[in-house]
Amino acid sequence: MSMPTTTHCDILIVGGGLVGCATAWHLSRLGFKALLAERGHLNSGASGQNAGSLHFQIERRFLEQGEKAAADGARIVSLNRLAIEEWKGIENMLGRPLDVAMHGGLMVAETEAEMDLLAFKVARENELGLQTRVLSGTQLHHKASALSPNLAGAAWLEDEGHANPRTLVDAFADGARGQGAVVQTGTALAGLSMQRDRTYRATLHGPDGEITVNTPRVLLAAGHWVPRLAGLLGLNVPLYPAPLMMSVTDRTEPVLPFLIQHVGRRLSMKQTEDGNLLIGGGWPSRLAKRADGTPDLDRPAIVEPANLRANLDVGARVMPGLAERSLLRTWTGTTCISADQLPIVGEVAAAPGLFVAAGGSLFTLGPVLARLLARTIAEGAAPEELTMFTPRRFAHLDAFAVLP
Amino acid sequence: MKEAGVKRVEQGVTRPAPVAVELDGAPVMAHPGETVAVAVLSTAPRFRDDRSGQARGMFCNMGTCSECTVWVARGDAPWRRLRGCLVPVEPGLRIRTERPEA
Amino acid sequence: MSTYDIAIVGGGPAGLAAAERTLAAGLSICVIDEQQRPGGQILRQPPATFSVPGWLGGAPYRKGRALLDRVSGDARLQWLGGRSVLGVMPDGEGFALTLSGTAGGIEQVRARRVLVAGGCYDMPVALPGWTLPGVMSAGAVQTLIKAQQVLPGQRIVLFGTHPLMIVLAQQIVEAGGEVAAVCFAQPFAAMARTALAHLPRALRTPGPLLAAAAGIMALRRAGVPVRYGAQALRCEGTDAVERIVFSNGESIACDVAAMCYGFLPQADLIRQIGAEVRWSDPAGGWEAIHDEAMRSTVPGLYVAGETTGVAGSDAAMAEGALAGVAIAQDAGALSAEEAAAAIRKPQAERQAMQGFIDLLRGVADPRPWLPEPEPETLLCRCEDISAGTVDRAIADALEVGPSFGASAIKLRCRAGMGLCQGRTCEHALVRRIASARGCREAEVTGFRPRFPARAVSVADLLEGAA
Repeated sequence: MSMPTTTHCDILIVGGGLVGCATAWHLSRLGFKALLAERGHLNSGASGQNAGSLHFQIERRFLEQGEKAAADGARIVSLNRLAIEEWKGIENMLGRPLDVAMHGGLMVAETEAEMDLLAFKVARENELGLQTRVLSGTQLHHKASALSPNLAGAAWLEDEGHANPRTLVDAFADGARGQGAVVQTGTALAGLSMQRDRTYRATLHGPDGEITVNTPRVLLAAGHWVPRLAGLLGLNVPLYPAPLMMSVTDRTEPVLPFLIQHVGRRLSMKQTEDGNLLIGGGWPSRLAKRADGTPDLDRPAIVEPANLRANLDVGARVMPGLAERSLLRTWTGTTCISADQLPIVGEVAAAPGLFVAAGGSLFTLGPVLARLLARTIAEGAAPEELTMFTPRRFAHLDAFAVLP
Repeated sequence: MKEAGVKRVEQGVTRPAPVAVELDGAPVMAHPGETVAVAVLSTAPRFRDDRSGQARGMFCNMGTCSECTVWVARGDAPWRRLRGCLVPVEPGLRIRTERPEA
Repeated sequence: MSTYDIAIVGGGPAGLAAAERTLAAGLSICVIDEQQRPGGQILRQPPATFSVPGWLGGAPYRKGRALLDRVSGDARLQWLGGRSVLGVMPDGEGFALTLSGTAGGIEQVRARRVLVAGGCYDMPVALPGWTLPGVMSAGAVQTLIKAQQVLPGQRIVLFGTHPLMIVLAQQIVEAGGEVAAVCFAQPFAAMARTALAHLPRALRTPGPLLAAAAGIMALRRAGVPVRYGAQALRCEGTDAVERIVFSNGESIACDVAAMCYGFLPQADLIRQIGAEVRWSDPAGGWEAIHDEAMRSTVPGLYVAGETTGVAGSDAAMAEGALAGVAIAQDAGALSAEEAAAAIRKPQAERQAMQGFIDLLRGVADPRPWLPEPEPETLLCRCEDISAGTVDRAIADALEVGPSFGASAIKLRCRAGMGLCQGRTCEHALVRRIASARGCREAEVTGFRPRFPARAVSVADLLEGAA
């Protein structure tokens, strides 16, 4: 598709991952003329590289970082409840199968101390309206016989599961295009400035050369590259790269209908529709380095074999049959984490019309956040559920920005 | 079962005495140093069935295509999926073309 | 964990030649190979338990066998056979290599420098019926004969475009087997025309040409039919291949149909490390980019032999020697003057054989003669993904934009997600994408090779964790 060298749109969305494509989908339904620019191909970042877990229990990382983080994690629960409804309706909404399997999820515990942590977590979740419940070791074994008989128990949530990260973004992008959005792959944001009238002028480098875009709104939805892109305007978004690893085994017969997490160790494990076992859970890989020793975010992160073995070790403790499988591929993907662990989603205080959306867990939360963000953009005000994610909580970082 | 067409070259070759290995529960004789792939091939060209139930054979014999992958157990060690063209047979080796029952 | 000055991945002619040079310079080396014994595919040795006095007695193997005898007899060589390299990671000033035993087990070695001399493999060509048992690569038949002293069938048809078929047919006949026919897809006149155009330069190294001529004569004496202009259309059979059908309407009964359309460089490891590669014409695949001293684009990582583009074992030996000298020089074990003197001979040899290499590439060029799969023919043999499914995924991707590569198609349809990790279908995907996009194959990005470079038992990795 060839574009004029100067163009106008209602919103320029930078990043062809889940958040960018889903927001384009919602906004184009609301009548916005959206232009989405993706530097590589669609779904080539964390949206396609994550393991596709739909996890709604309070995450382990929120439980291990003390009371404040646990409180934040609890606040996400209310959003998770919306996310559950979002995922239940998503195949209907997009009109195609997306391998959404919500057969339930188990956060397992190996020790009595971990069982106590689960009980604490479940009590909080129940208060917030999330229907988790504690299973004893016996109940757990009854539910999932492939799991180790040594487990002490688990927290069960019937809405958890997984979806296919390979197909979801295409579905949103196809739908957005069908509603008039323009999706440009191979197109990088090379320049961004705010004009005196507080609109934005963006320079895109695409396959057919340079394009200038004039637009009243810009959404940066480029994962861990968001800080670099915000830097084009001299703005600071406190997101930090988190390079992770995921692994996949050969196919086997169905043994694991549930999403498995571990309350005391890093683990996510599930079985795909095709029978492969997917194993992850937040084990770090290593960022590639430039010749000068600084991190190179443009090259894939490097597998850390010791962490891979530790990840598989946790997996095999929870499900001994994993040891029989063959490891086909370990891949790395770089998500990002914000200064306070919560995603950053909304309008930037210092730059009206500039929106950001990034910050981890955005496969599970991406579809619902995109819906809420689209409402924010269309209505000019953020709905209640988004307020805890607002970039305004970091407005102090832009105290020295120079804008027209 | 279709008669296997495999032929060991006899002229100019001295092999050690054959040993028994177990293939899908049945004994098969193979010479130490021969690969698991040859042991399988000596009974039939089929190594597995694909997802549609069609018989499949080995393809590259150099560890690249994985078409000769079978389950192998040595002694008391657990079953492993290995490329049959790269694993030498040894007495008592067990080979399965389908996933063994645990 | 053992630390070496240099880890050589691949114990074929290139790796052995590099081993010889680096051992001579006093460096500590290990040579890692999936086979139990050194030699690579070209000199694939019978098991040590066998005695085969007449093994590979022909003139074309003489130089390689002499190298093999010299190097494998060197007590300083640390031979790590029966092992796959799963990954090469940057580690301080050098690299950490994770190895898995082909029969189980896991280990790590460290090396200050790494040479990847991974060789090549037969180009897998999807034609209808190619997944029937008994359809295999020419290399499979050849290595079964060379190393296992086994003929895989009673009646073997060779088909494709590569003159290696002449050599293989001879080896089958010498082993007591029956070659039903050798079928070149290209007409004789086309082969002769290409050969003549390259002949003056190719005659600088006449050995291989004379061997080919002698091979054709030998096949004639043995009564082996050699056909030209016989393009394979499909393989047929119920539980195994029973016949192969050609474009001239001929149907030849067989229990083994061996394809020989050329060879792809083994490049997954260098791509995993991030070394730059380029599309490797004519057969395809990816070849490592290197400087004249065989340094890849990654500091400390060297390449030699077919990994840099398929050119035969003599070229591999010369390149291995060049790499070995460069490594010794970069390690400070050779002075610049010593290195300059040491590369003179292999450099001259490598240059002299380029004429023959070009002739062979031209004559064997498979591209005009590749059979066409039907929509239901499997391209991805591991995940059972058909050509039709792949083509639909390509059409869908094209709707989004023209910049996609093989990974995008893999994500859409699972082709390349199985046990072979894409080595079988990647080149076919790249060709079909290039054709759909209307661009050259070189402009299409391939899969992103990942750790582990070979599928590995989780049990092995767990033992490594303990």
